[in-house]
Amino acid sequence: MYLTRFRVNTARRGARKLLSSPQAMHAAVRAAFARPEDYEHDGTRSLWRLDTPAPATVHLYLVSPGRPDLTHLVEQAGWPTTETWDTREYGPLLDKLQPGQRWAFRLTANPSHSGRKNTDAKETQRFGYLREHEQADWLVNRADRHGFTVAAQQDGQPNLRLHKRQTQTFTRGMGTVTLVTATYDGILTVTDPTVFRQALTGGIGHAKAYGCGLLTIAPAG
Amino acid sequence: MSVLLLKLAGPMQSWGSSSRFARRGTEVAPTKSGVLGLLAAARGIRRTEPLTELLGLEFGVRIDQPGQIMRDFQVTRSLDGRTRFPLTYRYYLADAVFLAAVGGPDELLHGLNEALQRPAFPLFLGRRSCPPAGRISLGVHDGDVDGRLGDFPWCAADWFRKRADSRVHLELIRDAGPGEAITETQCDEPISFDPARRQHAWRPVVRRHTEITNDLADRSVDHDPMSLLGG
Repeated sequence: MYLTRFRVNTARRGARKLLSSPQAMHAAVRAAFARPEDYEHDGTRSLWRLDTPAPATVHLYLVSPGRPDLTHLVEQAGWPTTETWDTREYGPLLDKLQPGQRWAFRLTANPSHSGRKNTDAKETQRFGYLREHEQADWLVNRADRHGFTVAAQQDGQPNLRLHKRQTQTFTRGMGTVTLVTATYDGILTVTDPTVFRQALTGGIGHAKAYGCGLLTIAPAG
Repeated sequence: MSVLLLKLAGPMQSWGSSSRFARRGTEVAPTKSGVLGLLAAARGIRRTEPLTELLGLEFGVRIDQPGQIMRDFQVTRSLDGRTRFPLTYRYYLADAVFLAAVGGPDELLHGLNEALQRPAFPLFLGRRSCPPAGRISLGVHDGDVDGRLGDFPWCAADWFRKRADSRVHLELIRDAGPGEAITETQCDEPISFDPARRQHAWRPVVRRHTEITNDLADRSVDHDPMSLLGG
């Protein structure tokens, strides 16, 4: 597995297209792999996320089974002569995971549930959670099946901060896609390293093609 | 020398220093005449009575949360509908928070602090339609106006602080000391609130910025997953 970071040059026209449409970014990420097994392989898949660490600074994070080649992204939306991308081996970190470890984490996800629109509806469909507490509960409740728990704060509430909660709409072919996304920041404790490893490489929740589900960890300050 | 600190917060505030005729403006920060008027109301000093003890007070204000300017277009008729009053534009600051400091002799400030707990007349933020939210007084503190405004914790609302950086620069507007280089003059030094003969004098003012730490800032922005993978 590899973790890749690519900095987007937001002043370029190509970047506007990629940043405004998860469908376009999905296609660009897919095109970064010459061999299909580098993109998706043995229950692991490629996941990506856009982070904005500072105004007008956008990072694309990419976790993939194989080494990506982002030359096309650099040409469309990067700095072709000075900066490319940064790819690191993810395996050593994944092997180091132990129960009880505390990490700061970030996850952009699509908190949703499925149900029927009304009692007469024939088919079930997915609905995004819109309220902040529902979105927080969504992650806290499914943390267990991904091998971690969200740490508690001093006041007993989960150590979570939600930001960039938004409803995205973009076109996909002839239709439109509507996605509710939220970015979670917080502290987690690893309970089951095997399952947690699967969460890091396989993602959490739905809409993984559209920049959701990638969980990353960093030292807990 | 002590300082009485006031938190001026409410859904609406309006602090005009140059309102004339049908256009009733607001400054972006509380005026000295507005705040001393509020203290006089707490004390129970009537408009026609002299302000004697309040005249010598030193004044400063810090803009903790600037709020938004709101315009109210007012159309008024008499009760029987026959007289139509002039159309007026009234300006307000919506959702603003200010920290005001009043410097002066110790016993006077303690008296004013007590009066704010049990005001003689209703208190309002610049205009009668603008009631304050919560307690106004933050108590009497040691030091001078400039120092207390410079280091008192940020009073803005939680939602506002969460969106801000971990260090913020707040604007501070206070009376100029003798011989100090002034930024501007404002016509809001109250002499008399007598409705028949209202009087204000020009007041030399210093504007500066103070840096305050914000413990509610969103620290989570510096999440760097690469740091675990060797830099």
